[in-house]
Amino acid sequence: MLASCSKDDPVIPNEEEVITTLIYTLTPDAGGTAVELQFLDADGDGGDAPEITTSDLSPNTLYVGAVRLLNEQESPAEDVTTEIMEENEDHQFFYETTVDGLSVSYDDLDSNDQPVGIRTMLQTGDEGSGMLTITLRHEPNKSADGVVISDPSNAGGETDIEVRFPINVQ
Amino acid sequence: MFSKYWFLIIGLLVSVEVVGQQCELNISGYVIDSGSDEPLEYVNIIVSETGTGATTDSTGFFRINDLCPEEAHLVISHIGCETQQVYINVRRDTVLTLLMDHSENLLHDVVITGEAIDKSTQISQVITAQVMADQIDKDLSNMLEGITGVSVLKNGSGVAKPIIHGLYGNRLSILNNGVLQSGQQWGNDHSPEIDPLIAQKIRVIKGTAALEYFGSQLGGVILIDVDRLDEEPHLHGRLSYFYETNGRAHGTNLQLQQYNPKLSWKLNGTLKKNGDRSSPNYFLNNTGVQQANLAFQLQKSISPKLELSLYGSTFNSEIGILRGSHIGNITDLQTALARDEPFFTEPEFSYGIEAPRQVVSHHLLKFSGKYVFDDDRIIEVSTAAQLNDRKEYDVRRSGRTEIPALFLRQGNLFAQFKYRDLDIFRNWGMSTGLQVDLTDNTNQPETGILPLIPDYRSFKTGAFALFNRRINKSFVDVGLRYDQVFQNVLAISSTIPREIIRYDNGFHNFSASFGWQYLWSKHFTVSSNIGVAMRNPAINELYSVGVHQGVSGIEEGDPDLKSERSIKAVVSLKWKPTPRLYVESLFYYQEISDYIYLRPEEKFRLTVRGAFPVFIYDQTDAQIYGMDFTAGYELSPTVSSKLAYSYIRANDLEANIELINIPANNLNASLQYEMKESISLIGIQLDKCAFTIDSKWIFRKDELLSDQDFTAVPDGYQLLNAKLSFDVSLPHARLRWLLRIDNMLDQSYRDYLNRQRYFADDLGRNVVLGLNVSF
Repeated sequence: MLASCSKDDPVIPNEEEVITTLIYTLTPDAGGTAVELQFLDADGDGGDAPEITTSDLSPNTLYVGAVRLLNEQESPAEDVTTEIMEENEDHQFFYETTVDGLSVSYDDLDSNDQPVGIRTMLQTGDEGSGMLTITLRHEPNKSADGVVISDPSNAGGETDIEVRFPINVQ
Repeated sequence: MFSKYWFLIIGLLVSVEVVGQQCELNISGYVIDSGSDEPLEYVNIIVSETGTGATTDSTGFFRINDLCPEEAHLVISHIGCETQQVYINVRRDTVLTLLMDHSENLLHDVVITGEAIDKSTQISQVITAQVMADQIDKDLSNMLEGITGVSVLKNGSGVAKPIIHGLYGNRLSILNNGVLQSGQQWGNDHSPEIDPLIAQKIRVIKGTAALEYFGSQLGGVILIDVDRLDEEPHLHGRLSYFYETNGRAHGTNLQLQQYNPKLSWKLNGTLKKNGDRSSPNYFLNNTGVQQANLAFQLQKSISPKLELSLYGSTFNSEIGILRGSHIGNITDLQTALARDEPFFTEPEFSYGIEAPRQVVSHHLLKFSGKYVFDDDRIIEVSTAAQLNDRKEYDVRRSGRTEIPALFLRQGNLFAQFKYRDLDIFRNWGMSTGLQVDLTDNTNQPETGILPLIPDYRSFKTGAFALFNRRINKSFVDVGLRYDQVFQNVLAISSTIPREIIRYDNGFHNFSASFGWQYLWSKHFTVSSNIGVAMRNPAINELYSVGVHQGVSGIEEGDPDLKSERSIKAVVSLKWKPTPRLYVESLFYYQEISDYIYLRPEEKFRLTVRGAFPVFIYDQTDAQIYGMDFTAGYELSPTVSSKLAYSYIRANDLEANIELINIPANNLNASLQYEMKESISLIGIQLDKCAFTIDSKWIFRKDELLSDQDFTAVPDGYQLLNAKLSFDVSLPHARLRWLLRIDNMLDQSYRDYLNRQRYFADDLGRNVVLGLNVSF
């Protein structure tokens, strides 16, 4: 009986749904060096703190923004953005900011002609600093009252991603 | 089925006068109220085969004449008592003395068990067969809620688990036909997987004298009693059907049984289905539930001394969880809290069940044998196997919604040996036993998600001895119990790279109880018991790690937790000054050292999904005390009233704050009118017409601090319910009609113990129509 108390090793599940990394690439529309904002949390819900890397943005500049999601627990890293694109009508990114003069607008549409937010346009104003919060909602109501790029509160659904970047425009 | 539980035939005196085929036999006798020893007037006794009968006079006497020598079923009914059926074989003129427990039935739906008095000082309450039949639409926990001192922890309308005197989950034991129910008891959003309709009665033991039962000795014990089959040679059964307006639920239950000296059998099947429930103002979308359950019981007497039985049950359920209560992180929770109506509320009703949902099944097979040496000594051996499957589906990306996010399979083997001797030494009775239990819990890896609780195997052995004796007007019992637990755990690390971490642990739990009951007079009884018990930390408390989706929090176990140690004292005073008045007050006090609870960390944990509150399993010293009060009073022979109040306080003695998830104080008052005479409606005779109106007050939990929850504690509320029922006697069957209205005034409310309160109002008005045929 005691021998049977020893149990076989569990199978470690393949966590293919995990998102470890969000990279928001901002390329100046007029050309120039792209800026990357990166949020990396390798252990998922585990106790290790995430690594957040940012670079300064230039004032009064229009950027083309693109979001990329990775699962770096897989090797090679899996691009989760394709999953979002396949189900684009069930997903929407939101961009909220406290930086004066900075605004983000959608630059893509899903199969129902509603925004997704994988591609965006970001316009900076004068010099300043603050935070930029990027949220990904799963199964939101995209046409609910008051749902705009900077306000997901009436959209509902579940938050799959919510990351905050410190932003410096100078 | 006609329960004989409250009915005892104490004498069967036979006088040989006529033996022959003429229909000249008679049955006569007296009916006495066992509570007060007074004769009971107006008891109807009908021979169901012939339809002839009699009513008792003021001395409790009845006489039925002109019976043929035959087998007869006597249907005995009395206002305020459950109707009973007794089988007798009439060969001669027969004199019967029948005991009916009328005064204790004053409380109608909840009666104090009389049986226990002779066996132990257990302080317990019972839900009888008829009460269950009148609540056929409810699940186990919601049925138990009718008992004072029992509350229910819910996650919407489909998931409910009982709380007894403030304790629930791992601290309670639920015994399904004598076997400790295995399964994922740790989760607040996991209902016990039992169909209550398989039971003849359900008992709740609130005191400490329950050491013979396997499981945690800290909290109360819930016993789902599947009694042995009555020695009644005919095929009997009951077919029930119900419809509920809220959720448009349909349900049916069929029970069939027959006694045969060679092999007796019973079958019990239930089918239930409901769609979206509704609050007064909107549908609660995706709250449908489907259930299909079956149980069988076989019983065989090998000899007058040896009886074998085989019992099997299967429970299968699919439960929808309110779509709007599925959230990603704490921001989502705060958004939901600010809304009146949950997200995803649709104006259309649907029977469909989509993610988030649970698919749960539980199967039990039990074999037992009983050998009776003589009137005093019995040996009982039983063995059981259980299989519990729990799959929980969340809303996920890329078609993964169809893959369970949690899939746990638990297998359990149990064996038990019990020996009872009513007179082992100088009138001391003894009951002793040995129990062994092997549980294997395995996460199925196809979820693609790190499991919240690890795989484990646990091996538990226990032994107990109970002694009792009646000394003049006192009855005392002493109990001792020892359990040894080994756990072999295989966890997956929460750090990268994933590794397998092995834990081996062992615990020793000692429990003891002392009970004393004193029959002051026929009208006043004092029962008390005091007990110490230990509970080893459960697997989730030791090793859980990850996001608990239901609460949007990260829960982390602590492998160094120690066992909880508890001391609990219960005193119950029962006062029955007249057959018309019944009062019971029960006081309890419990202290738990190293009480295990989830302590919120001050810092939130930042992940790619946003910030999550972190809860760590920690230990403190806790104190729980309270009172259950019940009273019944008969205003007239047709009108009776009932009052129940329960008060509870629970403190964390170290932090000096209230414990969470403790029921609010509540009050229940009801008034019942039951017609003395039958009435005739379009040629049909309606018996036992009864109308009940009851009101329930749940008070606000003002004692909780504002930072102990995500939102303010909901206000108290009052609900009004009504019930109308009557019986119709047919030649070989009885029909019972039932109309019940819950939340008659369609009140909007939120209950503290329902997690869905963060998102939506509770259930609105529900009209239940029930019909059953017993034959």
